[in-house]
Amino acid sequence: MPSPTDLDHLIPLKVHGVLVDPNTDTQIVVLRDEKNSEVLPIWVGTAEGTSIRLALEEVIPPRPMSHDLIYSFGEHLGFMITHVTITEVKNNTYYATIHISKNGIEKSIDSRPSDAIALALRTKGQIYVTPDVLERRGGENLDAWLAKLDPKSFGQSEAEA
Amino acid sequence: MLNQMNVRGLLFDPYNNAYIVILRDEQNSDMLPIWVGKSEASAISFALERIAPPRPMTHDLMKTVLDSMDAKIISIVLTDLKENTYFAKIHLLYGDSEFSIDSRPSDAIAVALRAEAPIFATAEVLHKQSSEELERWLENLKPEDFGKFET
Repeated sequence: MPSPTDLDHLIPLKVHGVLVDPNTDTQIVVLRDEKNSEVLPIWVGTAEGTSIRLALEEVIPPRPMSHDLIYSFGEHLGFMITHVTITEVKNNTYYATIHISKNGIEKSIDSRPSDAIALALRTKGQIYVTPDVLERRGGENLDAWLAKLDPKSFGQSEAEA
Repeated sequence: MLNQMNVRGLLFDPYNNAYIVILRDEQNSDMLPIWVGKSEASAISFALERIAPPRPMTHDLMKTVLDSMDAKIISIVLTDLKENTYFAKIHLLYGDSEFSIDSRPSDAIAVALRAEAPIFATAEVLHKQSSEELERWLENLKPEDFGKFET
């Protein structure tokens, strides 16, 4: 669990939107920092992308989705997801940590970024990234790549952002 | 009245492009087919096959979250069937209290298999579902429609 000083050097990110990669069975979660100067794209599976999109659009599905269920565990048991951090990237795989708190006791749980983001959006927890991950993301050409994407492949939440 | 159910396997339903989780009671007399989405089917099949994925899947995370809180899954119960939608409850023991949490059956089954918690169905659900319909549907299936998780 990072102390407040540890949080100081982390960079807060917002989910800017979810794109559908028309060529593969994946979706891309686009995260941006508050100054809109940094972009972090994370490729996620269809189910996780859909879950993130539902949370962004504040859609309440008729039956709870998997991440709604985890949120519901928190509501019943009285724990909170305080924040999530994207901590590392190795061989194009991003790693994240979910920080949960109950009566002042903090726990950190290893997670895929997709699950961490889907949960953070539901609990209004802050999403952070380490400066190291931002530096090492292979996204120098991302803006060019994004520009080439068909606008139709942008999800609704992107259009609203 | 609750009946304990075992997960017997997963079938692919090519007509609806979905998967069916087959549950049977202990005497093998009652069968409950539950249609689930692709990602939930994959979560259930990983648990059935005891495959540990390189990174935690959503239901692995679900179990880790409960473990980290020292909450235990006592059981899951398939409680109702309304307009072809099944409803389930996850029963948790946390401290000295029990909690029942509303869930889709797919999530409940996926997390119950990971926690090795028993799966129950109410007599009402077993009564409501028409296994005749499934049998008719199974008769029309070709062997190649069966996935590798069928038992």
